Amino acid sequence: MSAAEFQSALNPAASESAHIAHLWWIFFWVTLVIFALVAVFLFIAILRNLRRVPDDPERAIIPEPAQATESRATKVVSALVVITVLILFALLIGDFFTGNAIYATPDPKALAIKVTGHQWWWEVQYQDPQPSEIVTTANEIHVPVGKAVKLELQSTDVIHSFWVPNINGKKDLVPGHPTTTWFTARRAGEFRGQCAEYCGEQHAHMRMVFVAEPPDAFSNWLSAQKKPAPEPSSDSQRRGREVFLASQCVMCHTIQGTKARATLGPDLTHIGARKMIAAGELPNTRGYLAGWILNAPALKPGVRMPPNQMSADDLNALLDYLESLK
Amino acid sequence: MNVSHAPIASLSAPNEQAERALAALWTRPPGLLGWLCSTNHKDIGRRYVVTAFIFFGMAGLLAAAMRIQLAFPENHFLGPDLYNQFFTVHGTTMMFLFAVPIMEGFALYFVPLMVGTRNAAFPRLNAFGYYAYLGGGLLLWGGFLVNAGADAGWFAYTPLSGPDFSPGHRVDIWADMITLTEISALSGAVVVLATVFKQRAPGMSLNRIPLFVWAQVVTSFMIIFAMPAVMVVTAFLAMDRLAHVNTHFFNPAEGGDALLYQHLFWFFGHPEVYIIFIPATGMVSMIVETFSGRRLFGYPVMVLSLIATAFIGFGLWVHHMFATPIPLLGRSFFSAASMMIAIPSGIQIFCWIVTLWTGRPRLRVPLLFVCGFILLFVLGGLTGVMLASVPLDLQMHDTYFVVAHFHYVLIGGAVFPLFGAFYYWFPKWTGRMLNDSLGKWNFWTLFLGFNLTFFPMHILGLHGMTRRIYTYVAETGWGDLNLLATVGAGIIALSVLLFIVNAVTALRDGIFAVANPWLAPSLEWSTNSPPPAYNFYNLPSVSDAEPLWHSPEQKPVVVGLSTEKREVLNTTIMDAVPEHRYELATDSIWPLALGIVVTLTMTFVVFTPWAVPWGMFFSLLVLYAWFWRGNEPKFIVEAAKPKPQVAAQPTLVAPA
Amino acid sequence: MNTAVIDVSRLPPAVEDHTSPIWWGNLLLLFIETTMFALLVGSYFYLRMNFTNWPPVRSDVSLYQTDPDLGFATANLLVLIASCVPMFIVDRACLRLDLRSVRFGMAAMVLIGLVTIALRFFEFSGLKFRWDDNAYSAIVWTILGMHLLHLITGTAENLLMTLWVWFKGLDIRHARDVRVGAVYWYWIALVWIPLYALVYLGPRWL
Ligand code: HEA
Ligand code: HEA
Ligand code: HEC
Ligand code: CUA
Ligand SMILES: [Cu+2]
Repeated sequence: MSAAEFQSALNPAASESAHIAHLWWIFFWVTLVIFALVAVFLFIAILRNLRRVPDDPERAIIPEPAQATESRATKVVSALVVITVLILFALLIGDFFTGNAIYATPDPKALAIKVTGHQWWWEVQYQDPQPSEIVTTANEIHVPVGKAVKLELQSTDVIHSFWVPNINGKKDLVPGHPTTTWFTARRAGEFRGQCAEYCGEQHAHMRMVFVAEPPDAFSNWLSAQKKPAPEPSSDSQRRGREVFLASQCVMCHTIQGTKARATLGPDLTHIGARKMIAAGELPNTRGYLAGWILNAPALKPGVRMPPNQMSADDLNALLDYLESLK
Repeated sequence: MNVSHAPIASLSAPNEQAERALAALWTRPPGLLGWLCSTNHKDIGRRYVVTAFIFFGMAGLLAAAMRIQLAFPENHFLGPDLYNQFFTVHGTTMMFLFAVPIMEGFALYFVPLMVGTRNAAFPRLNAFGYYAYLGGGLLLWGGFLVNAGADAGWFAYTPLSGPDFSPGHRVDIWADMITLTEISALSGAVVVLATVFKQRAPGMSLNRIPLFVWAQVVTSFMIIFAMPAVMVVTAFLAMDRLAHVNTHFFNPAEGGDALLYQHLFWFFGHPEVYIIFIPATGMVSMIVETFSGRRLFGYPVMVLSLIATAFIGFGLWVHHMFATPIPLLGRSFFSAASMMIAIPSGIQIFCWIVTLWTGRPRLRVPLLFVCGFILLFVLGGLTGVMLASVPLDLQMHDTYFVVAHFHYVLIGGAVFPLFGAFYYWFPKWTGRMLNDSLGKWNFWTLFLGFNLTFFPMHILGLHGMTRRIYTYVAETGWGDLNLLATVGAGIIALSVLLFIVNAVTALRDGIFAVANPWLAPSLEWSTNSPPPAYNFYNLPSVSDAEPLWHSPEQKPVVVGLSTEKREVLNTTIMDAVPEHRYELATDSIWPLALGIVVTLTMTFVVFTPWAVPWGMFFSLLVLYAWFWRGNEPKFIVEAAKPKPQVAAQPTLVAPA
Repeated sequence: MNTAVIDVSRLPPAVEDHTSPIWWGNLLLLFIETTMFALLVGSYFYLRMNFTNWPPVRSDVSLYQTDPDLGFATANLLVLIASCVPMFIVDRACLRLDLRSVRFGMAAMVLIGLVTIALRFFEFSGLKFRWDDNAYSAIVWTILGMHLLHLITGTAENLLMTLWVWFKGLDIRHARDVRVGAVYWYWIALVWIPLYALVYLGPRWL
């Protein structure tokens, strides 16, 4: 299986998540101390005068607390309030600086990637001034380490939320409100991301693969993605393409270089090169792929892809073809 | 020293005949029908509390099922469709059918006793409020049982909850249930406010009102200004969804806006959490005062803190929307406001601890729960402060970190005080004491189970576990902590079971409770346990904030109210100077009738907009009957007839 | 028992002014309703931000008209404002327990209520768009409809009190009820002024 790094907001791999993790530890220690103090004082308050003989009216009730106690207590509480205000102020300042660092205006030369949320998968488009150079893929995002990346987020059905914990905080994809977010990856690695806003039945399985890689590796990957689907190189693959084009697959999927041009489902032009299928849920192995094609709803109940009947031979051919789409 | 366990003699009936006469006037008619007609605040309060507790149990069972599903990666206990219904119905029930109504129930039961009057204001409105609530609960759970359980989450964001992505009637039922419970909350709020404004015992000026009552006043105001927002937003949603209406409030294609929904919802939703929390602080204040044996330290700042919390509480709603595309500047403002609310909360915590510190604490079960409350609420509040920071929230939003935060503040901040309140007021309510050692077991299992369940969720959230997922793959490494949480939930269930056992056995053969078992200072403890139908034979007057700790027998009592009509004393708003007498409505069947009409209306409006005009027509018919005094069913008129009056009132006249 | 007592038997058994709980109850109800309308107004402005053309144009309907007709609407506004006068006369008459004035005044109020309701239906027909056209039309229809609901309840309440005073006469408690109803009616008329401005003048001037 793929070697994704441990998914955590506290294991940063980008400038943004590092800033946030830093802020987190400040908040963590400050609040930990506050909590410990409250707990200690509560224990002392209870234990120092604890009545062992309860319910003795003469001793249990102090109808008029002593004036001296009251004024001392007033001083203590006032001091605590002042301290509270100061601490909050300090935290707010930390918050402010972190916010500034994260929301500094993005590099105009940033790599622009358009991400569209669908129930329940991610459409990913690498923008390019030249329309023919635009790369469309799904559920797997590659970015170069050290380069600013700007995500253009949008949704056309319900609200989703884009989140890769190791990279940056999340951003909601609200229909009617296209938005952007940006980050700069600082080290290579493979991470997991997922949709964070409840978006219906399969919200749980709207995950994605996120790969930060050295600039060279990235540009290799991108140029491979720019190519149309490779021509089938064996009979079986050729037959697989026939099967694909003759069945209902074409109603939903695109394979660049063939007449399959539909956009209801993920672009499959380079499906063979993807690590996972079904929006980051299943490893891209022949077995899972076969199971998925025959009966996607069995693997992902509610999915918008219907089951498909086909003969074993057809299926094998189809798998050969899909696997060849590197 | 004059504090004692006995009822205050000057407030009790001079002889048995007198007591029977007044009891007859205020007691509801006999039988089931009489019970349905009751407008006594104690009956109504009790109904709210019991019903809400049952909803807590049922929603808790759903939570247990969710925990089982999440115990292992890729578990198959609940499928996605069921799971989504479960968490939605769990959250909705806990918020709308448990937490708010149970606080309302305590208010309706105890506020009239604490302010020293015989019944709540607007008794029929009060009775109706309960029926509307019950109707809402039945609607939601009825739908759930026929596979039409709401499944869009407890805040049902559009467009997911809209007509295109949630066909069927699940969301309609949810929206209409909200309307019913809000009607109920609003009527409860009006009743509480009018009772506190106008029916306080002579001398109970603003600075002598018990903190629980203050908390309920503040809460009621919050209800009045917050609930209309959720009624508006669910009405918009229902109209967008309803066939033949099909408006486009939230449809971006026609100029509608999904974020409008979020603004309106959270303009209600954030105050809602303080509507749950503030009454709980009122309970805590009462318990701390009693068991530390001294006046609550810092009464005036406590009151101001409540008011400040309420005010600031209306300025925070956007902190639930930090991840949405809204302007940065707005977010910073709401971030600062959210942190600011730590100040009044902190003040309350400090004052409670100082009260305990300078008092003579008796660590009885209610105080034990309060200690649990302080620890857990402070922890939850501090994670709240983390969430208030925009960058941190963007990582934590919609993860189990938030789930942990809100269970700490909801269970730690409201359910622990509630259990404390049960142990504290159960004797007053039922005349029996709950068992002490079972109570300690109850506390410790709850405390342990709670932390086992919800503490790991903080870590899960940081490790990227998003909320509202019905399963997860093993690769994520979330399995162990989830299993731990599930075990914890089992312990919580055990603890709740212990409580139920304790309550049931106490009801059957618990020790009888004296009037003031805890030597508490407030007026509800001056009368018998349980209180008679009329609460006080002679109404009390007060001259300080802890009436039972300062020569209660010497204080003047109010005499001269009618013994033939259900009359109460109205006093002035600020200083509670006697102003006039006021006849309350009798028991009546019409509140139930209206409750049924309104519930049916909201049920049919799931299917057709025509339910609205028809519902309005029938509601008006019922309301005419309701207001047309003297048309109550015969058996009620009979029951309300004046009974032979024997005892002469004492006629001493003294300075007011 | 040697306790001093506060004897309240001499206090009035009922009042008809703002010291009465029901008066406060009504006031609280009006807080709720005012908040509700304020939120509708807020929603109106929020939705407006989404439109470059406000009110919106529609490409599929030629001559799509979004300005609501002013005629009936303005007439209704004037009727509503004017209706406060008889309401006020009844209000005063209640203080004197003047049965005759209250009877006729209340009957008049019911008629006026029916007139404003009827006018409101003409207002609806003066809208050249349907509620399900777009967000603008939805919020306009909703504001008009919500206010209509209040006209109906206000009139129904007045009818109830009219029936009572005709059949049962007038005592202090019912005089108080009439007066509380009057406050409700003033409020219905008052909130309509800004709402009218928003719904009818908004599309022309905003
Ligand atoms: C009883 C309910 C309750 C209470 C009291 C609170 C209290 C607070 N809450 Fe919480 N909250 C919820 C219930 C509650 N919350 C719920 C239900 C949700 C989720 C809804 C959903 O999405 O489903 C939520 C979500 C929520 C969010 C959104 C998270 C997200 O979705 O991304 C935020 C963000 O700011 C937040 C903040 C706060 C803050 C700042 C407080 C403060 O009031 C806390 C103040 C208290 C203290 C800080 C402790 C005591 C103070 C001291 C000891 C003084 C010293 C302290 C300092 C110097 C810091 N809450
Ligand atoms: C006051 C409010 C409240 C309370 C008390 C609870 C109590 C509990 N909650 Fe709840 N919870 C919410 C409010 C609350 N919750 C809200 C608002 C949400 C968000 C929903 C959403 O996302 O839309 C939520 C979501 C939520 C989730 C997240 C679901 C998800 O995002 O996928 C989880 C998961 O573990 C959970 C667990 C629990 C557990 C284990 C308890 C336990 O404490 C429960 C303990 C109780 C029992 C175990 C019952 C015991 C019963 C008996 C012994 C039988 C008695 C029977 C009768 C009387 C009939 N809750
Ligand atoms: C009605 C539309 C529809 C049809 C027909 C359809 N699919 Fe899909 N397909 C989808 C959707 C939608 C998804 C994304 C599902 C998800 O992950 O939630 C998908 C996902 C996939 C994936 C996984 C892609 C990824 O990156 O995760 C593969 C592979 C696939 N389909 C192959 C096929 C093949 C082969 C056929 C025909 C035999 C087919 N599909 C027919 C809609 C369709
Ligand atoms: Cu998409 Cu959750
Ligand atoms: Cu909030």
